[in-house]
Amino acid sequence: MSQAALQRLKERFPDAVTEAYTGPGGDDVALVKRESVEEVCRFLKSDPGMAFDMAPYITAVDYMGSEPRFELVYQMYSTTKNHRLRLRVGVPESEPVVRSVTPLWKGANWYERYCWDMYGIHFEGHPDMRRLYMYEEFVGHPLRKDYSLRGRQPLIPERQVDEPFRGPGPSGS
Amino acid sequence: MAEETKPAAAPPKPGPPPGPPPPRNPGLVTFTIDGREAVVKPGTNLIEAAASVGVSIPYYCYQKRLSIAANCRMCLVEMSNAPGGKLMPACQMTAAEGVAVRTDSPKVKEQQRATLEFLLVNHPVDCPICDQSGECKLQDYYMQYNATASRLDIPKVKLEKRVKLGPLVVLDQERCILCTRCVRFMSEIRKNPQLGVDNRGNHSVITTAPGEPLDDRYSGNVVDLCPVGALTSTDFRFRGRVWFLSSARSLCTGCARGCNVFLDYMRDGVYRYRPRENDLVNQEWMCDEGRLSYKPFNDGRILAARIGKSGAPRAQAVAEASRLLRAHAGQGTLALLASPVASLEDLLATALVARDGLKLSEIHVGGRPDGWQDGFLRRADQNPNRAGLEMVARAFGLAVKPAADLAAAIGSGKVKGVWAVGEDLPDPALAAALAGAGMRVVQASNEGALASAATVLLPASPAPESDGTFVNFEGRAQRFELAYWPRGESLPHWGLSAEVGRALGLTARWSSARQLFEDLGRRVADQLPGYEWSSLPSVDRRKGLIPLAAGTVDGRLPGQRERMPLDQSGNVQWSRLPSSREETP
Amino acid sequence: MSKATQTAILPAPAAAGPLDAPFPTKRMLVNLGPSHPAMHGTVRAVVELDGEAVHSMRLDIGFLHRGFEKSCENVTWTQVFPYTDRLNYVSSIMNNVGYALAVEKLAGLQIPERAQYLRVITSELHRICDHLTLISAMGLELGAMTVLIYGMEARDLIWDRLTELCGARLTSNYARVGGVSRDVPPGWNEKVLRTLDRAEELRVEIDRLLTRNRIVIDRTRGTGVMSREDAIDYGFTGPCLRASGVSYDVRKASPYLVYDRVEFDVPVGSNGDNFDRYLMRMEEMKQSDRIVRQCLEQMQPGAIAADDSRYVLPPKPEVYGSIEGAMAHFKIIMEGIQVPAGEAYAYVEAANGELGFYAVSDGGGRPYKLGVRAPGWNMLMGLPQMMEGRLLADLIPTFDTINMIGGEVEQ
Repeated sequence: MSQAALQRLKERFPDAVTEAYTGPGGDDVALVKRESVEEVCRFLKSDPGMAFDMAPYITAVDYMGSEPRFELVYQMYSTTKNHRLRLRVGVPESEPVVRSVTPLWKGANWYERYCWDMYGIHFEGHPDMRRLYMYEEFVGHPLRKDYSLRGRQPLIPERQVDEPFRGPGPSGS
Repeated sequence: MAEETKPAAAPPKPGPPPGPPPPRNPGLVTFTIDGREAVVKPGTNLIEAAASVGVSIPYYCYQKRLSIAANCRMCLVEMSNAPGGKLMPACQMTAAEGVAVRTDSPKVKEQQRATLEFLLVNHPVDCPICDQSGECKLQDYYMQYNATASRLDIPKVKLEKRVKLGPLVVLDQERCILCTRCVRFMSEIRKNPQLGVDNRGNHSVITTAPGEPLDDRYSGNVVDLCPVGALTSTDFRFRGRVWFLSSARSLCTGCARGCNVFLDYMRDGVYRYRPRENDLVNQEWMCDEGRLSYKPFNDGRILAARIGKSGAPRAQAVAEASRLLRAHAGQGTLALLASPVASLEDLLATALVARDGLKLSEIHVGGRPDGWQDGFLRRADQNPNRAGLEMVARAFGLAVKPAADLAAAIGSGKVKGVWAVGEDLPDPALAAALAGAGMRVVQASNEGALASAATVLLPASPAPESDGTFVNFEGRAQRFELAYWPRGESLPHWGLSAEVGRALGLTARWSSARQLFEDLGRRVADQLPGYEWSSLPSVDRRKGLIPLAAGTVDGRLPGQRERMPLDQSGNVQWSRLPSSREETP
Repeated sequence: MSKATQTAILPAPAAAGPLDAPFPTKRMLVNLGPSHPAMHGTVRAVVELDGEAVHSMRLDIGFLHRGFEKSCENVTWTQVFPYTDRLNYVSSIMNNVGYALAVEKLAGLQIPERAQYLRVITSELHRICDHLTLISAMGLELGAMTVLIYGMEARDLIWDRLTELCGARLTSNYARVGGVSRDVPPGWNEKVLRTLDRAEELRVEIDRLLTRNRIVIDRTRGTGVMSREDAIDYGFTGPCLRASGVSYDVRKASPYLVYDRVEFDVPVGSNGDNFDRYLMRMEEMKQSDRIVRQCLEQMQPGAIAADDSRYVLPPKPEVYGSIEGAMAHFKIIMEGIQVPAGEAYAYVEAANGELGFYAVSDGGGRPYKLGVRAPGWNMLMGLPQMMEGRLLADLIPTFDTINMIGGEVEQ
């Protein structure tokens, strides 16, 4: 499907792309090092031959017990070239930080917030690194494999709001 | 004159035929299986050799501790040195130097499919009522190697369905695939050939001699060995589905051998024991009495504290108990009766409180009375931790005294108060004597003579409800892991002793058995060289979901984690999974 | 009166006095809270209003988060289907199909032709239902309640057909790994054609009521505009992306199932505003109707699931009558189908856009991870940008036309 794109990516970033293969069903996958995520994504977006202009679908997988523990998955698509590519980025548990790609694609914003909320992977350079689904006082990251299925969250006191009609607004005030 | 022809010089004698080339790895055998190179000791059969490189060959009748029968024909593989291209049984063939073995060729796959089809021809449609569902080799192999519809259009052979072979074993003759593992176990391992095969062909059945029961004291092991649901345990029959059971790695508490077991439990209690493999302790076997020794964990439990005859909250009972203990200790009329059924951690905490809080210098040994012993597994001493108790006493400088001494001391009036940790009594004379003591603080998990006569009764929780260590009669320390949290208001003995100690003014607070062992275990570390407490994970470090039970006879855990290679802590080893990727050109 | 007297009566325009001074206005924070009739699903929008204009807007989601991914990690592969139903609950079959395609990609399964046709037919019927829901809701919220009634009638008729097939109106649970769960009842094909005729009549009625309606055009034309570049940047897909001028439809770009054997057109807009998005959906309903009719013609009798006992339940007579069937049934139900280890991403064109499922298998009977790329998510992300500077009243048609379904956005 997108073999050519995969090959070009591998040639352009020989150290950053540790492995490139075609998985079941013809998905083209490249394993990318964590430090080079931003560089690789910038190339993928701006290079006319790659032209991955659509915001990627970003999710993460918790391979608990293996090192690196988390794996970020970026599923890319190009509307002009109609080819797809998947990037898998290993994120270790000891340092779960990756550069954000929100400056490149606005649509990556909430996906990265979701990864922070659910897995605890922090994105440097993200404009609004907050939890997405869960409330702010939530303890833990639910989609991690060691998050208990039968746990209970601690009870939290009600939020203090100065005026009933004034909570934190969109501009923060 | 005729030409003299000298007789031609004799042609040089041919030397001996060239021998086989020397092995690539001297002393070992090198061969390939499915293209992977395997290096094994000579004499290793192919099933073990294949397992060592990650190739699994299916089998029913093979068992590594029994003789080779090769009657199931499930393990047939293609070998490059087979005569006439015949498929050879991998359990019987040993590896030879340079041989190429294939388990994935179409011929082998067809053979596996056909063998299963034959085995299933007369197998009854019993899955809904068969106990083995979920841990049945027929089910597992069918999905992996056959997965085709039945071609049978005649009625199946009808045999007897509920033959009570012995007090613990029930036979269903229709389900039996005649692998003869049970027969071989009884005759080779137990040296007591109570089982044999009767009749011929389709009507062959496993049977005992006419009128004789299968009453060997280790008969329960044939239930574990049976790969299908032919032999089932009368104790476990119809009690629960194995995929709902969780497994904890535990130790049998029936005698001082400490056979390694899987403790299968569900929410409401323990359902059964299955032996765990340990070459040094119990190989893969356990005795029937030990197999049933889990019952006190469920029945007759004490779950609430008592002061006198009336119930009381545990905190109040602990306060009352410590008051009484302090009073008697102050007058020097207190004695400690510790049971060697308690774990090492329980005894460490108790000894600490006894020596530092109550200023005691002697520890009387209670425990269960002696039972029977044989040369196979069972020990006469029915207490799992006697060696551990002696170690603790030595570490804390407490003199070990037999229970008879305590009876005498009570009789003579020297001892008026007893702190009993554990409710087992080694002889009835002691029970009578204890009635004479004025005060009895008892920490007990089950109702019994001692518990009903207690002045203050504290509810203790037995082995499955805490992590801990037992030291068996050989001095071998073994870990068992927590299965479920203590029920009711009970606490493990170390928790109760800690509460008593705190009421006496000591700083004794441990949040888990692991922390306790880190704190106090140093004192016995010299007597337990090389013992790793974290050889099993502690409850606060266990990750992921609790694995389902239903081990196959090989000990693998099926269900969600079936094909996952796990490391010792129960984590998945992703690097060992076969990759499903295609290589990019 | 003469001009001179006129001007004498009115005061001369003096310098601006205090009455003409601009009012110091305060921006008002309004909470369009999670339970609000116009907020589809439970979404909280905090808008800062300057008069009636929206100065900025912040969305707060997560009120419908039910832990879809975590739940799926703890059930077998087949037990995930009812969970997928409840993602985009107005067009649930497309969720089922997307998930089934992901698992079949991992397992390398080929599904029979009849199953493919059935999946396409039911997907398109649910696509019509989804668009009808959206248009009816939009009409209702713009004040045209009749449209709601007509749309509901059409939707109900289609649901009746689907009930006869799947057993449920909304949560169909129809697809299975390896095919579909049951075959059509007798006479279903003709009934579907008659239902489509009636639905087409109602669609034409709705078209007549809305498309050239002054009020609708005033409220939707030019509101909720998303430019083409921004739409791609946000990751819009489906009718919303096509309304902004990008002709990307998964069914044409990478055809799956039998979409390459049927003829249909894909409408593309140009303005990227609410009206264009509405027009996309109207036209797509017509095209879906076309697809269903062609599929019903082309579909041949045959098997509805792959013939592989490792993935598909054997027929009941075999389960009760033979040990092989009993064992296959047992293992599939209790342990789950054993999907080979690996990871795959499969995508379908759902009513809202590209619905993707990212499935990771550890070789066992339960998913190790199941991620959903919900199409509505991206549109919701772009909503604050679409609303900035617009009137609050524009929020209503915008929220309608982006078709944010709470279930898929919040999983």
